[in-house]
Formats: sequence, C-alpha cells, structure tokens
Amino acid sequence: MLLAVVSGFAAALFAPFIHRRLPRYSGWLFATLPAGLFVYFVSFSGRIAEAEPPRFAYTWLGSLGIDLTFHVDGLSLLFALLIAAIGALVIVYSGSYLAGHAEQGIFFSHMLAFMASMLGLVLADNAIVLFIFWELTSLSSYFLIGFDHRRAGARHAALQALLVTGLGGLALLAGLILMGSVFGTLEISQWMLTGDAIRFHVLYLPIVLLIAGAAFTKSAQIPFHFWLPNAMEAPAPVSTYLHSATMVKAGIYLLARLNPVLGDTVMWSALVTTFGAATMVTGAYLALVHVDLKRILAYTTISALGMMTMLLGIGTPIAIQACVVFLLAHALYKGALFLVAGAIDHATGVRDATRLGGLFGQMPVVAIAGLVAALSSAGVPPHLGFVGKELVYQALSEHLLNAILLGAMLLTSISFVAVAGVVGYRPFFEGMRDVAREPHPPGLSLCLGPALLAALGLIIGVAPGLVEHWLVAPAASAIGFQPVAVELALWHGFHYNLLLTLFAFATGMFVYSRWDGFRAVCTSLDASASFGPARGYDLLLTATSAAARATTRILQSGHLHFYLLTIVVTAIALIGGSLLTQHLPLGVSRWSDVRIHEFVLAVLVLAATVLVVRARKLITAVVSLGVVGYGVALFFLFFSAPDLAMTQFAIESLSVLLLVLVLFRLPEIERYSRTSERVRDAVPALIFGGLMTILVLTVTALSREARLAPFFAEHSYPDAKGMNVVNVILVDFRGLDTMGEITVLSIAAIGVFSLLKLFLKGKRESEGNP
Amino acid sequence: MEVTLAFVIGGLYAAGIYLMMRRSIVKLIIGLALLGHAANLLIFTIGRLVRGAPPIIDHGKTHLIGQFADPVPEALILTAIVIGFGVSAFAIVLIWRSHETVGTDDLDEMRSTDSFD
Amino acid sequence: MEQVMSTINLSAIYPEIILTCFSLLILLMQSFSTPRFKEYYGYVSLVGVLAALAFVVMEPSSFFAQTVVYSFNDMWVVDNYARFFKLIFLLGTGLTILISMKYLEDEAMQYGEYFALILFATIGMMIMASAGELITLFLGLELMSLSLYVLAGYTRVRMVSNEAALKYFILGSFATGFLLYGIALIYGSTGTTSIRAVAASVGKYGLYSPGLVMGMAMLVVAFGFKAALVPFHMWTPDVYEGAPAPITAFMSAGPKAAAFAAFARVFMEGLPALQMEWTWLIWIMAALTMTIGNVIALVQDNIKRMLAYSSIAHAGYVLVAFLAAGELGISSVLYYLLTYTFMNIGAFAIITALSGRGEPRVFVRDYQGLGFQHPFAAVAMSLFLFSLAGIPPTGGFMGKFYIFSAAVKEGYIGLAVIGVVNSVVSVYYYLRVTVAMYMEEPSSVREAEAAAPIFSPALVIAIFISAYGVLSLGLFPSSYVAIVKQSFLALQ
Repeated sequence: MLLAVVSGFAAALFAPFIHRRLPRYSGWLFATLPAGLFVYFVSFSGRIAEAEPPRFAYTWLGSLGIDLTFHVDGLSLLFALLIAAIGALVIVYSGSYLAGHAEQGIFFSHMLAFMASMLGLVLADNAIVLFIFWELTSLSSYFLIGFDHRRAGARHAALQALLVTGLGGLALLAGLILMGSVFGTLEISQWMLTGDAIRFHVLYLPIVLLIAGAAFTKSAQIPFHFWLPNAMEAPAPVSTYLHSATMVKAGIYLLARLNPVLGDTVMWSALVTTFGAATMVTGAYLALVHVDLKRILAYTTISALGMMTMLLGIGTPIAIQACVVFLLAHALYKGALFLVAGAIDHATGVRDATRLGGLFGQMPVVAIAGLVAALSSAGVPPHLGFVGKELVYQALSEHLLNAILLGAMLLTSISFVAVAGVVGYRPFFEGMRDVAREPHPPGLSLCLGPALLAALGLIIGVAPGLVEHWLVAPAASAIGFQPVAVELALWHGFHYNLLLTLFAFATGMFVYSRWDGFRAVCTSLDASASFGPARGYDLLLTATSAAARATTRILQSGHLHFYLLTIVVTAIALIGGSLLTQHLPLGVSRWSDVRIHEFVLAVLVLAATVLVVRARKLITAVVSLGVVGYGVALFFLFFSAPDLAMTQFAIESLSVLLLVLVLFRLPEIERYSRTSERVRDAVPALIFGGLMTILVLTVTALSREARLAPFFAEHSYPDAKGMNVVNVILVDFRGLDTMGEITVLSIAAIGVFSLLKLFLKGKRESEGNP
Repeated sequence: MEVTLAFVIGGLYAAGIYLMMRRSIVKLIIGLALLGHAANLLIFTIGRLVRGAPPIIDHGKTHLIGQFADPVPEALILTAIVIGFGVSAFAIVLIWRSHETVGTDDLDEMRSTDSFD
Repeated sequence: MEQVMSTINLSAIYPEIILTCFSLLILLMQSFSTPRFKEYYGYVSLVGVLAALAFVVMEPSSFFAQTVVYSFNDMWVVDNYARFFKLIFLLGTGLTILISMKYLEDEAMQYGEYFALILFATIGMMIMASAGELITLFLGLELMSLSLYVLAGYTRVRMVSNEAALKYFILGSFATGFLLYGIALIYGSTGTTSIRAVAASVGKYGLYSPGLVMGMAMLVVAFGFKAALVPFHMWTPDVYEGAPAPITAFMSAGPKAAAFAAFARVFMEGLPALQMEWTWLIWIMAALTMTIGNVIALVQDNIKRMLAYSSIAHAGYVLVAFLAAGELGISSVLYYLLTYTFMNIGAFAIITALSGRGEPRVFVRDYQGLGFQHPFAAVAMSLFLFSLAGIPPTGGFMGKFYIFSAAVKEGYIGLAVIGVVNSVVSVYYYLRVTVAMYMEEPSSVREAEAAAPIFSPALVIAIFISAYGVLSLGLFPSSYVAIVKQSFLALQ
C-alpha cells in the first residue's frame, strides 16, 4: 500500500529524465502507472464489500501518535479509483495536448506528484498523514495552475489558489489536532467508534468551524469560491483532473469522511446544508453569465460541489446515496466536458462559446463525446446524471425545508440544462465559427479520454447495477457508518420528481435559446464584481501589506534611542508591575546607621554624576566621570573590599586615559535634542533609577541565608592555601571563570585589532581608486 | 548603610540611561560607563555591606571568623570590572570607526534601515 | 540517572579546550606563517569543530544512560541537554565555516581572527549550555556576545554594516547588563549563584524576597534580547542585513539556541517555583514575537532582512513550546532548534552564493528566473523556504507540528491558534521568493550585471548537509524524537 502511494512521487522524480528520452510516447508510458494502480485498487473491491476494510500501518513517528496508516473502505476506494482512472486518461491526453512544450517533462512530474498526494489523502487513516497529503495537493496544484508561468494571470491565479486552500489547510491542521486531543488518538478509524464523545464536547463548535473552513476552501464553497474560476488559467488537463474530478472534491471527501464523527447535529447540518445550497445556486447562476467554455464549466463545478455539500449536510441515507451517485456521475461527465473544451481550445485556439460553432465536421468523436457528457450533465435519461438527479430530488423532498431546497435544485437543474447546450451542443452543431485558425482534427490521445468518460456515464446510466453493489453501496455505508442498501434504477415509475425534471428540461431549453439576451441582462445587473469575495481577497492583501508597512515604520524606525527606550520601558513595566504586587519592606530605619564620610562621598558622587549629564564640554564630562569612578572605588574601600578598590582605581585611570586619547579626535559635545525629547527620556530614566533604589532597599532589608560565602570562608585556606579569600575564589575555586574572563578580554583585543585593520584597509582601497 | 548606596545606585542608573538615549555617540559611551559603575555598586550592595572586615584570613587562622564581607560578590565585581574595561575599549574603537565612516556623531543620522518613507 | 561528581574533571571540558586550542592555533598561524597559508584557516577551524564534535558525542552509550558529569564545584554540568545543544552549536559553526571560506576569499578578508572569533563565540555558547552557575553563564554570554559584535561589523567600509554593528553593540551591552543585575538580585535574595542551589533555596523558603521576582524579570530582558524576542528584537534586522551573509547565518542559529538553552535551564531548573509569575509574561511575548516578526517580514524586499524578521517569528514559535514546557514542550524546543539550524543556514548558504562581492544582490528581484538558470540552487532554496514555512514533508513542518501539539496538550490553545495563523502569513512571504525563482523572468538589468553564483565545493557540501538535515527531520523524525526526549530528561 505504501508502495502504491509513494510510487507516484518516485515516478515524479524521474519523469523529466524519462520524458527527455522518449518525448513522443512519454504520456502513454506514464499513464501505465495510474492504470496499474487502478487495477490494484479494483482488487480491493471484493474485500471491502464483505468484511472489515483492510488497514495498513507503517511505523513512522509512533511517539507522537503519528504513523503512516492507510485504510481502504468504500469511500476511499471510490475516490482512489476515480483518481487512478481519470489520472491515466488525463496523462495520455496531456501527452498530445502539450506536445512539444519545453517543460512537458516537468508537467508530468507535477501531475504524477499530484496524483500520489491525492491518493495519499483519500487513503490516509492517520489525521496528520491526511493533512500532510492535503497540503501536498495544494502545493502541487500551485505549480500546475502556474504552469504557464510566463503569464501574470497564471501566477496570480496560482498564488490565489494556494493562499486560499493553504489557509484552509491550516484550519484543517488546527481542527485535526483539536480532534486528536479530544479523542486521544489521531487514527480516524478509531474516532468513528466513539463519535459521541465529541458532539457534546466544549470544543465541538470550533472543531466543526475549522473542518468546515478547510472543506469549504478546498471545494470552493461560498465565499471562498472565487479561486476556482481563476484557476482556469491552468492547461485543460489540469482543470480536468484537479478542478473537476479530484482535488476540489477533497473537501467533499473530508466532510464525508468525518460525517460519522461530526455529523448528525443541528449545528452541522445547518452549516453544511446552508453553505452547500447557497453555493449551488450561485454557481448555477454565474455559469450562465460567462462565455469562456472553461469558466462556464468551472462555475457549474462550483454548483455541483455545492450540491454534494448540501447532500452531506442533510445526511439521510438517501441523501448520502444521492451524493455518492452524483459524485460519480459528475466526475465522469465533467471530466469529459473539460477534456472536450480542451480539445476545442487545442484545435481552434478559442474558448469563447459565442465564437464557436459547426465543429462537428472536424472532430466527430470529440463532438459526440461532448454531446453525450452534456446530456448526462443535463440529467437526461438514460445517463448516469439522470439517475443521480432523481436521487437528489428524492433526498430533498424528504427534507424538512423541502420547498426551499427543491426550488434551489430546480433552478440549478435549469441552469445545467442550458449550460449543457452551450458547452456540448452549440460549438459542434450550431452556427458558424468565427475563428482565425483552421481547426486541425484531434488525434487519438485527445479523443480517448473524453470518449471513454462519456461512454462510461452512458453505460452505467443504462445499467446502474454495474456499480451499485461494489462501489456505491460501500461508499455510502462508509459515509453513513452503517450499512446502506442501494437500489439504483433508471426508471422509478411515474413520480412527481419526474415532472420537475421535465419542467427543468423545458425551461433550460428555453434559457439556452435565449442565452445571449439572458447574459446581456445579467451583465448589466452584475455589480457583484466590485464587492464580491474576490475583491475582498484583494483588499485583504492590500490592507495586510499596508498594515505591515505601518508596523515597520513605527517599530523599526532605525532610531537607536527608540529601541533603548522600548527596552527600558518594558523593563520598568516588568519590574514595576511585580513590585506593585509585593510587600515592600524598605527598612528606612537603617538611616541611623549612616556615617558622615559615607554620606559626603555619596553626595559627591551624585553631584559628579549630575555634572557628567549636564556637561557642555567633553573634558568636563570625562573628568566628572573619573570622579564618579574614584568615588565608587572609595565605596569599595569603605566597605571591606580592598581588592576591588585597587582594581577600580587602576582601571578607572586607564579608562579615563583612553577616553581622553580617543575622544580628543571626536567633535565637541553638541546638543541635538529638543527640551521635549529630553523630558521624554529623562522621565523613564528617573523612574528606572528610582525603581533600582527601591529594589536595593527592599532586597537588603531582608536577611538571607548565605550559602556560598561560608563554604569559601571555610575552605580557602585548608584547600587552596590562600589567605585572601577573594583571590582564592578567582584563581582557584573559580579558575574556570577567570579563564573565561581573560578570554573575553583577549577577544576585545582581537576585536579592536581587526576592526581597525579592516577599516584602515578599506579606507586605503577607497582612496586608491575613488 | 545600604541606604546611602541605594540612592547613589539609583542616581547612577538614571544618569546612565538618560545619557544612553542621547543622540550624540560620545554621551552614549559615557552613559555606558556610568551604567557599569551602577551595576558594580548594585552587586556590591546587594551582597550586603560590612565595614572594616575584608574577607582576608588573619595570620595564624585557617578560616574567616566572625563577621566578614561576602567574598563572592567581590569576585563577581572583579570579573565585571575587567570585562567592562574590555567592552569599553572596544566601544571606543567601534565608535571612532563609525564616526570616521559616517562622518557624524549624531545617531539620528544613522538609520539606513527600513526605508519606506 | 548516573551521576559523576568530582571537584575538577577536565574531561568535562575537552570540547571547549579543543576549540580554544584551535582558535589560538589559527591566530598563531596568522601571526607567524606566510600569507599563502591563509586559505587553510578555514580548514583548520573545521578540523577543530569536528574534533570537538567527536568529544561531545564520543560516548553515545552515556547518552542513553543519562550520564551527568558535574565538574568544577558544580559550576559545570554536562548532561544530555547540554550535549544536545553543543551538537547544535557545533553543527551551526561547521556549516558556517563551510559557507565562509569562499566568501572571505572573494571579499579579500581571509583573516585568521574571523575563524578564531567564530570558534570563540561557539565556546561561549557551549559555556552557556553547560553552565551550572549564573556567573559562568554570564561569562559565556559575554564571550559569545563580544565575538559576535566584532563579527557583525566584520566588513570594510560599508555604511550599513558599521551602523548595524554599533547599534548591536550598544543595545547588546545594555541588555547584557540586565543579566548581571538579575544575577545580583538572585544572589542577594538566595545567597547563591548556583542554579541548583537557587532552586533548593526557593523550594525551601518560597518567594520570600521581592528581589527574586525582579531578578527573574531582569533575566527575561537579557535572554529576550539575545533570543530577539519582541519587544527586544529591534536590533535583529539591521544587524542581519549589515553583517556578512555567513555571519548572519551563524547568528541566526547558534546564539539564539544558546539563549534558549540558558533560558530554559535557569527557568526550568532554577526557578520552577516562579512559574506562575512568568507564564503570562511569556504568553504575551510569544504572541507578540510571532505576530510582529511575521507581519513585518511581509513587506521586506531584502532577503536577508526578510529572514531576519522571520527568525524573530521562529523564536516566537520556540517560545510557545518553551511555555508549554513538560516533556513534549522542551523536547519540541530542541527539535525545532535543530531543524532551524539546518534550514536557516541552508537558506543563507544560497544567499551567500548569490550575493556577489560586496553583497549587492540580496533582493527578491535578484532571484527572478533562478529556477531556469540554476536549477540546483533554486531547488535547494525552495526546500529550505518550504521548511521555514512549515510545509510538509520537511523538518520545519514536523517541528511546528511538534510545537503546536505540545501547546494544545498543555492547554495553550489560544497561543497555538495564533501560531497557526502566523504560519499562514509566513507562507506568503517565503513563497514570494519561490515565485520569483520559478515563475518570473529575470529582469534585463539583472541579466546584464549578474555574475555566475559561486558554488565552491565547501558551499555545496554545506547545502547538501543542510538539505539532508531538513529532509531527514521531516521524513524520518522518529530517531530524532528519541534523541530530543532523552535530552529533555536531563532537566528533570
């Protein structure tokens, strides 16, 4: 099983090389992989109809609860078969669709990688593995949509698709992690057994919203639908494979997969049904407004996805059954129609439906395939599309809000009929074309895909028994998590649903005949472009970028003092904040202990400090700084630290000398700042100083147990034979630290040296060649 | 006795931070030096002060007896003073180099960073 | 847990001693040998790093036996936690040296002290990871910082670099001061600077002194600055842009990890009793760090700057895991830091190769069409960027998953959500570079002035090692997870 999933990635790795060797037959060659996988998956059909679905586990990261687990139930199988079968046809098709394209090898590579990701997605049992493959489909679809990267439109569309579905992907991750934390396991098949645990959990609502968000973005539900029509920038085989048959159905797959766990609540069905129905109607309407064949198909796809979402929201056995049948029917006819549109585009270079006509003579096979698929999509008997629609009507009529939903469905059906005419009839059989180029007849590989898919739709429609037991029933059972008996039939007897179908057909024909007029009216009414979700997406991007710029300008002003001020203010907030909550023993009674000479010295040091701050001349500042330093040394001397006092004297003298030497070369102190700026800086500085004073007072007011000092007092002489404890600490007990200290000094020396060297060298160079 | 030093420390910190936020680099170095003094005094004071009892073992004794100044902060300060000197030597050179390259000691002139305006 | 106690155990600092010897050797070579040896400084330092690495991982058996070696009166601890961090540091250093060699040759800056300083900085980081003492920690930090100040300004007359080094130095020494104040306060309150003794004291007497909480706050400022957490992050972009590209790579990986190493040891081992006090603080910092880093990175056109801001955001993710603490939290910190070392240095290796003499070509527009002209560089760069963005199946994804599941498990769901939203934002800017490489035509200006990127063998090796790390951390995470879990146990 792992091999089946990974083989696509492996093939993707070598595809460009193989293609370079065999450019003419590579399409057929690569198609053998999905074809083989198809056969492999068919072999599962017998097993899953009878017993427990087979499960495959490969150890990966067990300690985090992630292993590579796959399982094949009816739902997975249905998707896997569609992915493999349509994959094979599409790859054959693109062999000649993109023949001679410089990057065809890379194209195959992306396609195969996408196929493998999609297979992994529908077969994964571990939630995180599912997520990984989900993201991989987004990523590979990004490259496929942007395949024609020389056009800005394609790049923009690819990025848009990636951002929208990527956003959904992270919602998915969040949702799955939350579900994992609720269930305590990441295996989806385990979740099924204890679905009730989550429906009453606090996290149920966020989980449903996150999962629905993921599914809605991937399956282009309102208000995230806008990326799908734009993704039609992709070559036709990509649109066929990703945007009708497989990837966009990943959202449907997710909803179906998690239906047993999350479904069956008012919340779930209200959310999913509403969004599904709204998407269905909107897509159906927008499909009639456009003239580009692929865009029309994209909007009907959105509509169909909405229908499936709606059915999953309803969630009754008959609705689930309708969803499965319709999904199959849609994959077959929409796949065929996209391939037909691609073939037309390939032959004539035109996709504008108003400029196409009378192509039957040039491409009879494609024309017939297109017509048959279109009839299936219109729901005309004896096609599978008809079987599916009948079931949908039946499912809706049992629903509480049947009037509204049936009305929506009727509108959608009308639109589908009209669109079927525009896409499947008009280009071939009606009017004259207005095409610059003389169309050339398509070859075998361009005809094979559409013909086979359309034929399958017809055959299964005539004899639905072919799929009902081994394909539809297990899939429906998996979604409902209970055995579902499936009886598919073309003819259900005379039922009022049939009247609806007939009405839809008649009205649809009428709309088709008045299509041009209808479009004109719609276009004049259409103001949605200026404030639709697509516009929202653009606005969001612009606003984010503007906000980012504003933040940058405020936070990264480049002013050093602003950076420092931030640190100081934060430190004040941190320290002051915790000071407020503490009991503060200031111990001011200790005033009495102050000796006069200490007090005088303190005043002297503080006065010198003020002088340093106020100094107008550099030399005054340096001298005052020296006074402060010597004052500090005196403090050390007063309070029993002779070593410190000596060091401080020495270092202070050295520092002053150094400062004088270098500062001599710098300009005099200048006053750059205004009074207001000085006040702004002085206030936090004084607060910080005050806080430090309070801190010292409180900390020293408390007694504490000395832990280190007694050890050194005890051991200095016996262990290290030294009388001066400070020295012993430095050179013996903490020799390591002293060693580090010396290293720091030497680094400072190296630093001084190399900075000067580099600088002088650079200066010489720039003077040498100005 | 800690009380006096507490105020000295506070004053040194206030002055040091104020100078660090000036636009002139020279003041900045001086501020850094003041902060160094403040830090040393802080460590010193917080380790508790003792008058006239340096941590030196008297002749003939094997260990410190009675009240004595805590040797640990003293050792730490010695380290800090030395490192502080290294750092300020480096600082002076760095600043001199910047001054030579940029040609000003006004820090506000030095912001060739995020420039959107 | 086996413990080896002794007053002085030199073998505990063999890796550090070796590195010191090699850096001195390089300095001596520079002083006493002819200039034609200058090409070998890099190799010599590389040998030093490998030798030190050999000593760090010398006894894999002691790793799983959880051997802990204390030395120098508890000032020095060698446990798995320290060993793992040393591994990260040495890895980062080794990769940096590989990237640097050709770069220095082209910039005519082949000086020994460059490598010596890198090694010294590494020693500083290793001291930070092994310090059982706050003062030792301070020294390690100073050692690392000072070396980095010099390296950050290691160019000739270049305005940005100069400025950046100056600001870095001033802010850096200001922030390091806070570490010293914090240590002083903790000593003032507990009478000790040994991390374990502090824990014992706090455990015995509780939070009787306000100085302890303040001291903690000061440590947060100091570590926050070194790890570039908001609001102490402002130096990062300037410095990352100004420093030579290999040094930027170096600074973004090792020193950050070192700051986290020390941060975690002090807070988890020394001040666990203060957890209530710092939880909310870290929560806010993590949220701000992730958000501000990513938001500002969105509008950067300079790739070095962009990666600088993104490195702020990555520190934010690590902080989330840090907050989650516990086995899952800390082990995910380690996992993420290792991954980050590979992916970020990898990305910088490519930047170094493409930047050209004097680094004029570091903008997104300079990457247009790279996918067609230099497929190898473009594929590698995409891999690193995908990993940084957290896209499966790379190590970056695994790391983020690890972190966020730790956060969810410990109940920080809000923070995990902020983190996930931030990851989305980050995808956008990382992707801009990929888009430029694969989907845009090289502009004619660039075509004219572009010199071929420089892929020296050393650089290619660095790229391969990084790519291998990123992929293996993403595809075969289980053995790495076992190692980081072992490393975490040392802190218990």
